[in-house]
Amino acid sequence: MLVASMNYALSLGFALTFLIAGLVAAALLHTYRNLHGVAISPIGAGEAFAGTELSFTLSLGSAGSARRGIVVATAGERSVSVDLAAGATQLVQLVAEAPRRGRQALGRVTLWTDFPLGLWRGWAYVHFPLSGIVYPAPEAPAPPLPLGNEGSDAHKNVHAADAELAGLRDYQRGDPLNRIAWKAVARGAGWYSKQFEGAGGRGALELAWADLPPGFDTEARLSRLTAWVLATEREARAFALRAPGLELALGHGAAHRRAALTALALYPPERAQ
Amino acid sequence: MIFAAAPATPLARTQLAWLGALVLLAQLTVASHVLPWIAGSGAALVLIRFVLSPDRLPSPRLRRVLLPVLAFTFAVAIRIKFGYFLARDPCVDFLYVLVGIKYLETRNARDGGLLVCLAVFLLLTQFFYAQTIFAALLTLPVLLVLGGALAALREAPADAEWKAPLQRTGRMILQGIPIAALLFIFFPRLAGPLWGMPADAGAHTGLSERMAPGTIGALSLSDEVAFRVDFEATAPPPAQRYWRGPVLARFDGEAWTALSYLRRGEPVRASARTIEYTVTLEPHGQRWLFALEHAASLPSRPATDATSGGPPGDLALLTSDQQLLAKSPLMQSVRYTERSTLGDSFPSTGNIERRENLQLPRDRNPRTIERARELRAGVGSDRALIAAVLSSFRSEPFVYTLTPSPVGDEPVDGFLFDTRRGFCEHYASAFVVILRAAGIPARVVTGYQGGELNPDGGYLIVRQSDAHAWAEALLDGVWQRFDPTAAVAPSRIERGLGAALPLGEYVPYMAQLDMTWLKSLRLHWDAINYQWQRGVVGFNVDRQRDLLRDLGLGNARHWELVALVAGMITLWGVVLLALARRRALSADPAGALWLRVCRRLARAGLRRSPEEGPLAYAQRAARRWPQWAALFARIGNSYALLRYGPESEQRTKLIAALREGVAQLPGARKLRTQSPS
Repeated sequence: MLVASMNYALSLGFALTFLIAGLVAAALLHTYRNLHGVAISPIGAGEAFAGTELSFTLSLGSAGSARRGIVVATAGERSVSVDLAAGATQLVQLVAEAPRRGRQALGRVTLWTDFPLGLWRGWAYVHFPLSGIVYPAPEAPAPPLPLGNEGSDAHKNVHAADAELAGLRDYQRGDPLNRIAWKAVARGAGWYSKQFEGAGGRGALELAWADLPPGFDTEARLSRLTAWVLATEREARAFALRAPGLELALGHGAAHRRAALTALALYPPERAQ
Repeated sequence: MIFAAAPATPLARTQLAWLGALVLLAQLTVASHVLPWIAGSGAALVLIRFVLSPDRLPSPRLRRVLLPVLAFTFAVAIRIKFGYFLARDPCVDFLYVLVGIKYLETRNARDGGLLVCLAVFLLLTQFFYAQTIFAALLTLPVLLVLGGALAALREAPADAEWKAPLQRTGRMILQGIPIAALLFIFFPRLAGPLWGMPADAGAHTGLSERMAPGTIGALSLSDEVAFRVDFEATAPPPAQRYWRGPVLARFDGEAWTALSYLRRGEPVRASARTIEYTVTLEPHGQRWLFALEHAASLPSRPATDATSGGPPGDLALLTSDQQLLAKSPLMQSVRYTERSTLGDSFPSTGNIERRENLQLPRDRNPRTIERARELRAGVGSDRALIAAVLSSFRSEPFVYTLTPSPVGDEPVDGFLFDTRRGFCEHYASAFVVILRAAGIPARVVTGYQGGELNPDGGYLIVRQSDAHAWAEALLDGVWQRFDPTAAVAPSRIERGLGAALPLGEYVPYMAQLDMTWLKSLRLHWDAINYQWQRGVVGFNVDRQRDLLRDLGLGNARHWELVALVAGMITLWGVVLLALARRRALSADPAGALWLRVCRRLARAGLRRSPEEGPLAYAQRAARRWPQWAALFARIGNSYALLRYGPESEQRTKLIAALREGVAQLPGARKLRTQSPS
C-alpha cells in the first residue's frame, strides 16, 4: 500500500496506510495492557492414571480492568482461553497428557493473548513448583483379586469358620488347591475355584509382589497391583501391599488407597524412605 | 504480525459475515470507478456466499477447481474489454473481482487474513480516482469494519456481538491518529514515481495542445475546478482575467495544434499594473502553468515566512510565445507564486514569428480565404481589417452557443457562412484564419477567462467551464490580444458563461448567474475543499519541505528526523499507557490509595504478604511503628470498610478519610529511619 501511495503520490493513500499503522500500533498497546497485571497462581494438581490426562488447577485474577481472551497453555498444545471481569478471579483447569507413571510437573506455563485484533501476541512464561501424581495404568482386563494366601492361618480360619460359598469362578493359576471345585472338575465341566464370602464382611487381602506370576516385569506387576487396588475399592475390602522395599500395612479407605497408588506410582521407593 | 488463530479450523458463520461486510464495503468504495458489469459480478460473488446456505454452494473441492477458472475468465474478459491488462484500470477491475472470488473460497483464518489484506488494498485503489473529503469520510466506517473483521478472525464472535468490536476499533483508530499524523507529515515523499506510471494513471480534464471545433465547448460543461488563485492585493476585474495557457499556431484546416518546437522567451516588464498572486493548480496531466496575461516573472514556489521559496525558473520556463511550461506533466497539484503585468499586448521576438503565424493550408476553407482577400482589398490598414471582422461578428446574426450546428468538411467556411452558431473556439479559429489569409500574423491562445471570487476564502476559483479561446495578432511588432467572443457575446467576458449563453441553453451549474443559497453553500463547500486540496491531498514533497522548514527542521539530517519520529512514537506509547493506567486507577480510588500505602511500606521494609488483609497488615505496621499506630488503624479500617463493607453513602467520606490518612503517612525514607529494627 505504501509503495502504491508513493508511486502514485496518493496523499490519501498515505493517510489510509498510516491510519492503519496507527490502528496496529494502538492494538499493540491494547494487547500489552490486556496481559499486563494479570495474576496467576497455582492451586493444585489432580491425579490420573498413566495414559489418561492429568489436570492442574490455577487461579487467574485481574487486578484492574476486565481482560479478554487470556490463554493459558502448557508446554504441550493444550490451552484454555479465559475472559476475566474487572477485579475477578477465576479458576482454570489445565489438562496435560500423562503418558508415564510417576510425578509429573506442570512445567512451563505460557500466558498469552492476542486480543483485541489478533495482530500482536503478548506472552509471559510462568514456572510453578506444581506437580501431580500419575498412577500406573491399571491392567485391563485385570484378573480378579487373588483369593488370599494359602499359607496364612488367619485366612484359612476365616474361611473355615464362617465363610459361605458365594459362587464359582474360572480357575486361575495360583489359586490354592483347597479352593478348587473338584466336583466340577470331576464332572468334566472345567476348572473352577470356589469363592467364599465372609460373614463379617469381605476378607482382607494381601497384595504381594511376590505372588504375581514370575514372568511379569516391573511395569506389568505395578499395573496389575494398581488394578487390584482399584478392585478392592469396588469390593470394599481392606488390603495390605507388599513389594520389594515397600510395605503398606493392612488398611482401607480412600487415604489408604491413595497411599498405595502413590507408592505404586513412585515405585521403586527412593532409598531415603 | 501473527495470526494467532489456528489456521486450519474452518471459519464460523459470524466470522464469514464480518469478512463479507468488509469486502462488500471495500468494493462499494470503488464500485463507481470500475466497469458496471465488474461492479455487479464482484459484489454478487460475495453475496452468493452470504445469502446461500453452505450446502447449496458447490463443494470445497469443486470450488478449488472452479474459482481459478472463474478468475482466469474474468482476467481474459477484462483484457479483451480494455485491450491491455497491465495498467491501472484493468488491474483495479481485476482486484475487485478477485476479492469476491477469494471470499468464496475463504475457508480458514489464514485465507481470512489474506482476504483482509486484499480488501484493504482495494480500499486504497479508490484514491487513484478521487481524493475528495467524501472519499476520505466514506473510508472511515470501512476501517471500523476492518477492525471488527480482524477481531472476528481472532475469535468467532457471538451473533449479537457487533457493536463492541466497532467501538473498540474506533477507540484504537482515535488513539492511532497521532501516529498517523506523524507518519503523514514526516514520511519521505517522492518527487516522481518509482516506476513508470501507466498512461491512464491520471484521467485529467483540462486544456490540451489541440483545439478542434467543440473541444472547449465540451470542457465548458464541467464544473471541475481547474485552479484557484490567492491575490496579494485585490483581484483584477473580470475583463482582465485572461489566464494564458496553450498557444496554438498550426492549423490543418480543422484543428489547431501547438508548434512542435519552442523558444525561450523573456517576461514582460514590471510596471504599476503588475500584480502578484499564488495559484494552486489541479493536476491536469499536461505541462502548462496558467498565468494572467502577461507573465512578468517566472513562477516560484510560494514564499513562506521570511524565507524565499527557491529560485525562480526552478518550476517552469517561459517560452517566446508567453507560455509557462513545467518541467514534466503535472500529476500532482502544484502551487506557485507568479507576477503578471496586466495588459493586452506584449512585444514580439522577431521576424521568425511572422513566418510561423502566417501558415494556412491553401486548399482548405476557400470561401473564408476569398472573403479575407476581399476585405483586405477594401480597407486601408491591418487594424481597419480587424475592426471590420469584429464588427461583422457583432452586426451579423452570429450566435454564441454551446450547442453549435455541425459545420461540415470545411469547418471555418461552414461556421462563417452557413451555421453562424459557435462557441469561443469557433470564433477564435475563424478570426485567426481570416487574419492569416489577409496576411496578418495571428494565432489562437487558449486558457481560462474569468473565474469566480469565493466570498468565503477570498480567493478566485477558475473552473473548466471558464475555459476559453481567444486570438492574438502581430501588429507593428507587438502581439495584440483580440477576443472575437467579446464581439459576439460581451457578457461572456464581463460576467461569465452563464450570462452569455442564450436563454434556455444548458449552463453548467456553477456558471449560472443567480446566487441561490445552494450555490452559496457550494461556494462554502469549495472553500473547505480548497483547504483540503491544499493541506491534505496536495501534501507533496514540496509542501513537506516547506512544513519542515516552518517547523525549524529544514536542515535536519535524515537520522535526526528518524530519531525525532521514533522519540515521539515512544512518547505516544508512554502517554497512552499512563492515561489508561490513570483511568484504571480513578475507577477505584480506594484501591489506588491502598496500593500507595502498600508500596510505601514495602519500600520501608514491611512487605504485605499476599494473603494478608488490610486490617492485619495495618496492625503489623502499627506494631512496627507504634508512633503512627492510630494512623495505620485509620487507614486499614477505612480501606477494609470501603472494600468489604456494605455499600453506603459513607463512601465518599471514607475515601476522604483514607486520602487524608495517606497524606499524613510519612515517606518511606522517614519510616525506614524511624523503624525500631
